[in-house]
Parts: sequence; C-alpha cells; structure tokens
Amino acid sequence: MDKTAESIKSKFLELGVDIPLEDIVERLDKLVTKFKVPLDEARRSVITYFLKENDLDRNAFFGGQSTTPDSRSTPDVKLNGIDEGGKWVNIKAKVLQLWDSSHESVSQVGIIGDETATIKFIKWSRDMIPDVEEGKSYYFKNVVSNEWNGRFEITLNKNTLVEEIDEDIEVISSPMAGAGDGQPAPMVNVADIAEDGKWVSIRAKVSQLWDNSHESISQVGLVGDSTGTIKFIKWTSADLPDLTEGNSYLFNNVVAQEWNDKFSVTLNKNSSIEELDEDIEIASSSIIFAGAMVDVQSGSGLIKRCPECKRALTKGACMEHGKVDGTYDLRIKAVLDDGNTAQESILKRELAEQISGITLDDAISMAADALDQGVVLDQMRLKLLGKYFTVTGSKVDRYILVDSIEPQDGMDMEMLDELIADAEMI
Amino acid sequence: MAGYVREVSRRVFAQEFRESNLTFKDGDDQYSPQYLLTPTGAKVNRLFIVGTLIEKEDIGTDSEYWRGRVSDPTGSFMIYAGQYQPEAAQALAECETPAFVAIVGKPSTYTNAEGTVFTSVRPESISIVDVTTRDLWVADTARRTLERVKDLDNMDSNVVKAKEHYNTDKDHYSSMVREALRSLKEDL
Repeated sequence: MDKTAESIKSKFLELGVDIPLEDIVERLDKLVTKFKVPLDEARRSVITYFLKENDLDRNAFFGGQSTTPDSRSTPDVKLNGIDEGGKWVNIKAKVLQLWDSSHESVSQVGIIGDETATIKFIKWSRDMIPDVEEGKSYYFKNVVSNEWNGRFEITLNKNTLVEEIDEDIEVISSPMAGAGDGQPAPMVNVADIAEDGKWVSIRAKVSQLWDNSHESISQVGLVGDSTGTIKFIKWTSADLPDLTEGNSYLFNNVVAQEWNDKFSVTLNKNSSIEELDEDIEIASSSIIFAGAMVDVQSGSGLIKRCPECKRALTKGACMEHGKVDGTYDLRIKAVLDDGNTAQESILKRELAEQISGITLDDAISMAADALDQGVVLDQMRLKLLGKYFTVTGSKVDRYILVDSIEPQDGMDMEMLDELIADAEMI
Repeated sequence: MAGYVREVSRRVFAQEFRESNLTFKDGDDQYSPQYLLTPTGAKVNRLFIVGTLIEKEDIGTDSEYWRGRVSDPTGSFMIYAGQYQPEAAQALAECETPAFVAIVGKPSTYTNAEGTVFTSVRPESISIVDVTTRDLWVADTARRTLERVKDLDNMDSNVVKAKEHYNTDKDHYSSMVREALRSLKEDL
C-alpha cells in the first residue's frame, strides 16, 4: 500500500502538485481496510479524489471514457415487451374485447392483443379519444404502461393518437377465449394457475369446504393437487352437483380469477365435474426461500382495505363496493431473488411490522405528518432493499404467502469453506 | 399480463461484467428484451450487486446525471443514473463515499469510436447496506459464478454462444472466484 501511495504522490508531483503522503495513505487505508476495496480500485479512487481537489483534468491520468444516454423517443413495442410501469410506448394491436365500463370517467376498457400477448387497456372519458371497435386493429401511439396489482395494462391519455390500420393483426391464441367454442380448456397443475380470466381444467382433491353466506354461491373451499392448493367457488347458477370434502374430481372448464393477490377458480355453467376413483395427494405447501430483496412493489406499505370484503382499495374505492371508508393495514409485496429465481412474496401486517420496524400506528402517523401514504413505502424500501432474507411460507400461484421471515445476519463459515473447496477443484 | 415473468437479478463480479461485450435480444423481434451475455454464459437483463461506492460525480449538463463507481473484490462497476432513474439518482446524490451500497439495475453497453464496448449499470434502486450484506453478496456471487463455470462443459445454447464469442478460459474465472473468496475469508 505504501508503494502505491508513493507512486500516486510522485505522479502528482509530475503535475506540479505536492500532496502529503500521509493524506494519501489515510484515504487508501480507509478504502482498502474498512471498505474492502481492492488496491487497484482504491488507487484509482484516491487519484480521482485528489485530481478533483486540485482541479486537475482526469485525462492527465486516464483516457477519456464517456457514456451518452440513449435518445429517448417513444419506441414501438410488442405487448410482451411491456415489462415495467410508467413507460411511453407505441403499440400495434387488435381490440379483442370491450367490457362494460363501470365508471363514467372511463370511456372504454377491454383487452387488446398482438402476436405476442394480450393486455388490458383503459381509455378515459376526459381525453376525448374516438372509440375503438372490437375486432379492428389500431396503431396506438404514445400510450403509457402501468403496473397494477402485479399485472400490466396500458392507458391512453391526452397525448395518445389512435389510428385504425388495415392490417389484421394476428393475435396470440387468446387466454381470454371462453369455453363456448366446445374445446375443453387445457389441463393444468394448480400451481401453474397464474393468469386472471383464463379457462383451465384441473384434477384436484377437495381439501376444505367453507361456510358461505351468499345464496349465489353454492359451495366454496379449497382444492389441491401435488403442486399446490387453490380456493374454489361454485356458483349456484352453475347448477353442478355438490362436492364432498376428501374426494378427488376432474374439474373441466373452470375460470381462474385473481382476487386480493390470490388466485381462485370459479365453477360456472360451462364447467363440469367428474368424480375420480383415485386419491389425489395434496402438496405440503410450506417452502423455504432465501434471497436478496430486490424490490418492494407498489401496493406495499400503508394501505386501506374495504371493510366489507377486505380487498385493498385503490384511490379510496373498492372494486366491488365503490367508495368506502377503508380500514388501515400494512403489508409488503416483496421480490426475493437468489440469482436463479425472482420470487414474489407477500408479508402480512405482523411480519411487515417485524422486519420494517414500523408498526401500523407509526405508519398511520407518518402518513398523517407527510400527508402522503407513500412515505411508508419509501421508508420500507430504504430499510429493506438489497438485504438478504430467508422466508418460509406457502406457495400460492406465483407468490409465497410468508409465515416467517428472518434477515440473514452473518456469514455461514462452513458454507464459505465448502465454496472455497469447490472453487479449488475446478 | 400474459406470460409476464420478472427478470431474475443475475450475480456477476465486476471483472466478468467488464469483460462482457455481447448483447443480444431473445427472439428475432427487435423489441424483445435485451440481454448481456457474459463470458461464463450468464444471460443478464437485470443484475444485483453489492459493493463499495468509491466515487460519485454529477456529470450532467442540463439536468443531474450521476456517475458512480462501485467496487467489489475483482474490480468495479460503473453506474449511471439520471432523470429516468429518479430514485436511484437521488440516492446517489445523497450518498456519501465510501459506503456499502446494494444496487438492482439493468446492464447497459456503450461502444466508442474504436469499437471498444464499455459496460455499465443503469440502477433501478440503490440502497445503503452494511458490511455483512456485502460479504453475503460476495459469497452469493462466487457460488453463482462457480455454477456457471462448471456448466461451461454443457451444451446449453447460451453457454455455446458465450464460448464461441469469448473463447472463455475456465481457469481465468475460477481463479477470479477463488481470489474473491479468499479475500472474504481473510477479512472474517
């Protein structure tokens, strides 16, 4: 290290600057010893520091490396290329479905698709954009991607241009296609159910039947197979035979639905049930996952839930019950990543309080002070991002519903020795 | 969205990252996500790094544009954050140097007039962490890198592509991992 310090000193002398050796050594030592920076890098950093101190040109030491940011005009993208929220994009797509809009502020809402994917779109009334028609293809210029509840959608806005195009865009075989076309929906494993609105068939055992309070629901409970368990709802209008707890069935043409971060399947009048002779084994659902927390997703932190259905509110409104006086809750939707898998994980209030050190009461007063619920999420991100955790919990579709979470707070020396031994063998 | 899977944050040491220069898209579609293929065959659209922020500088002209240098046991990563990475830019602006930081970000490449490719990281988030997290990352990254070095013998298409392009020297990367692990052991 002393040699390095001396060489730095002499280089600066060549440039006509005399820097005390002990200043150089002190900076080098701090970087190398306390902050574990390799000597080469530390040397470079120290040189840069003293160049700046003395207002000298970097090029005196280093060749000029410059990076220019890309030019950022709106890119054309395919729908499967939409993988982050808040992006401006252009899209060529066909309108597949228009839904009934429940709010007067929404002029049109539905599904558009191209050959790579399908996605929900929303057109607001205030933007005065001409209506689109089902079955026609359009070039949507300057639309914005949004992430909502872990899924993507696009919104049209006042800068959006919509041009009808002659080309009939070919659409990926639509996951929204119903069972009405006579084809039985594809057979899937319970754990693979991860797409809202998709028609599927499953072979599963009824593990629980729950009480239900609605006359429109005939049965509700849990079914499972070797990959996981999922809630099911059988509508009275489906007019299907009753299921018995502990028996296994083939469920044809059921619809996957996402609700409150969880998936369920609903049995409707297009569904059919066959009892099976075999006894399907249900996976024990507890798993362990260790990784770094690489994201705390929006929808984490202080949220409000509908007092009726416990669903998280968006902008003070419940999807089901409209504008309601919500009750506060804390939750964390985290992405843990071990370098091979990015695992989404949901932590309920107790665990969110435990690892963030912020109680629900703290969070409420933080939000009140800042007049903004977002400060809680910001604090949680500061505290948690980039740290290593181990969680246990049950896997429900693409999430782990976490039962316990612990920070990894030290190096496992045995593991380190094994790694070293492993590295020596190559 | 249909078929959307979040990109995994790969673990790559600074030296291997610096020695990478092959970018490609998955599929023929020009709008498919972009990847950086490293010499050991890591296909990187996102990466997670923990190291020491040893320098930072606002190099923007009109608006803030921060450049930072983050060191690990094998070298350093350049990171660039501007108005399109507001959280990361703010974190960099407020951060003292030196400090241990954890960064989640996207790889980015720049080719100069001579055709040399420079790799850097466009951060999605930057957070201050402690020395334990830094050590855990070194071990974590050593493990993933070793896994890739071992897999250099198999016929996976990314591995084949990486070997064709880089003519990857196994020993070069296994000794990099050994060095990193030894430095970790000495410190503890």
